[in-house]
Amino acid sequence: MSYLLPHLHSGWAVDQAILAEEERLVLIRFGHDWDETCMQMDEVLASVAETIKNFAVIYLVDITEVPDFNTMYELYDPSTVMFFFRNKHIMIDLGTGNNNKINWALKDKQEFIDIVETVYRGARKGRGLVIAPKDYSTKYRY
Amino acid sequence: MATLADSFLADLDELSDNEDDIIVEDDADAGNMEEDVDGDLADLETLNYDDLDSVSKLQKSQRYTDIIQKVEGALEKGSDMSNHAIVLEDDPEYQLIVDCNALSVDIENEIVIIHNFIRDKYRPKFPELESLVHHPIDYARVVKKIGNEMDVTLVDLEGLLPSAIIMVVSVTASTTSGKPLPEDVLAKIVEACDRALALDSAKKMVLDFVESRMGFIAPNLSAIVGSAVAAKLMGTAGGLTSLAKMPACNVQLLGAKRKNLAGFSTATSHFRVGYVEQTEIFQSTPPSLRMRACRLLAAKSTLAARVDSTRGDPSGNTGRAFREEIRKKIEKWQEPPPAKQPKPLPVPDSEPKKKRGGRRLRKMKERYAITDMRKLANRMQFGIPEESSLGDGLGEGYGMLGQAGSGKLRVSMGQSKLAAKVAKKFKEKNYGSSGATSGLTSSLAFTPVQGIELSNPQAHAQQLGGGAQSTYFSETGTFSKIKRI
Repeated sequence: MSYLLPHLHSGWAVDQAILAEEERLVLIRFGHDWDETCMQMDEVLASVAETIKNFAVIYLVDITEVPDFNTMYELYDPSTVMFFFRNKHIMIDLGTGNNNKINWALKDKQEFIDIVETVYRGARKGRGLVIAPKDYSTKYRY
Repeated sequence: MATLADSFLADLDELSDNEDDIIVEDDADAGNMEEDVDGDLADLETLNYDDLDSVSKLQKSQRYTDIIQKVEGALEKGSDMSNHAIVLEDDPEYQLIVDCNALSVDIENEIVIIHNFIRDKYRPKFPELESLVHHPIDYARVVKKIGNEMDVTLVDLEGLLPSAIIMVVSVTASTTSGKPLPEDVLAKIVEACDRALALDSAKKMVLDFVESRMGFIAPNLSAIVGSAVAAKLMGTAGGLTSLAKMPACNVQLLGAKRKNLAGFSTATSHFRVGYVEQTEIFQSTPPSLRMRACRLLAAKSTLAARVDSTRGDPSGNTGRAFREEIRKKIEKWQEPPPAKQPKPLPVPDSEPKKKRGGRRLRKMKERYAITDMRKLANRMQFGIPEESSLGDGLGEGYGMLGQAGSGKLRVSMGQSKLAAKVAKKFKEKNYGSSGATSGLTSSLAFTPVQGIELSNPQAHAQQLGGGAQSTYFSETGTFSKIKRI
């Protein structure tokens, strides 16, 4: 489903996307369109993109095409989703130990929408770290 | 002449009394033919069947010959349509058309009467034929062709009937129980057949004439419903002017038959549709939409009739535009509804909360708040296994409840506001001692809520499963307290 979402093809475009959005969250999925995990994630992203368009916008970035952020954001997972609001990275406590990103394929649309809403609420209140509505520690491990 | 016309028009049960009156006004020269409609209704039963003329009188009537002559004259003459700007009702040709409409309906009924006559006469010869060939004209043709011939295979029915029916007819004829007819009866039958065919061709001619003139008299109306239906509508309404004055809902009913449904539902039968149902648009509409299409057609034909009655658009463009509009509308009805678009969620917290704080809200929160005990039961201490209702981690876990290291000696239950409220209600409802006294009531009432209860600590320990963990500090070992609610 990645073809339904806008791709960013350069580091500059990524920077502009994060900088230019004033009122909405910017979600960026780093990975490869051909990757299985990314495909699963993109499926969810594409299906909720229209629903959450009032408060979040989704972009896809190919980490081979745009390697600029790989070291800075430590992008070594097959699929990584990160949240930005007004040029600030928003951290989420997902219970996984990595508060910086969602680095697995989240398969439930409603769960994803809930996370985005929580992040948006926190970000609007000026928080840099929000707590996800659901703990993914055990879920992720087993 | 008037009486002859009477007896035939009496058979037109589809003409209501009102419509009759309108026709009377217009048919000045046709006379008072509809005067006694009721008198001859029983005719068919009491007719003397031996004489064809006593059954079918139309062809001999003055009106019939007059109209047919005029029509023939008009058809030969062709038409000079250039001077049709005069007032329509005064045009002799217009009057003729109105007459033609009435006549064509009469002829139709006459044919049915003659068909009955032929059937009755021909039944002794070939009783099965009437069930094989239904159409009156076809039947008359076949009867005329077969005549008294007993071997039907010798008769060439090619062109009269479809080949499949011909085969069925000849097979049936070979086993029929019929006998040859006497000559005089046969002669009458052949005469009746001739008359039926003549009437049919006359009707065709009349209709052709009317249809050919419809294009000039009512170009817009005939563009919508077709000239045949337009002619019928005009004929039944009693002229273009009266059609133009009619509301659309009545136009829809023009020519509607009173059907006897024998107790069946009117839901599917087109009960209230008249000539409009013969239009091409109506026929090409799926059955579920036909009623709507019918209303639409009636509405637009009324508009077109109004345009025609004032000679507003002799080219018929308005009618064609209406027709196109109708067609588009019906097509539109058949389209599936638009696909549902996903609705974006609203921005979270975009509007202020409706509920604010206050005494009532605080009370409600208090009432339904989570208790300390429940909080403890929901928590786990690091490195210490919880107790559970069935022991060994089975059943419902107690969390930090009753654990030695919890730092709390025991959990106070606290006064539950909700429980108090419920109990109060309960008391009021059932157990309050009422003021009304009979000799049997006492002012002292023992109730479960007010009663004094001593609970058995052992029973409680057993319930928890063994009592291996019942230490001094654990909850289960304590004295039970007197509950006051």
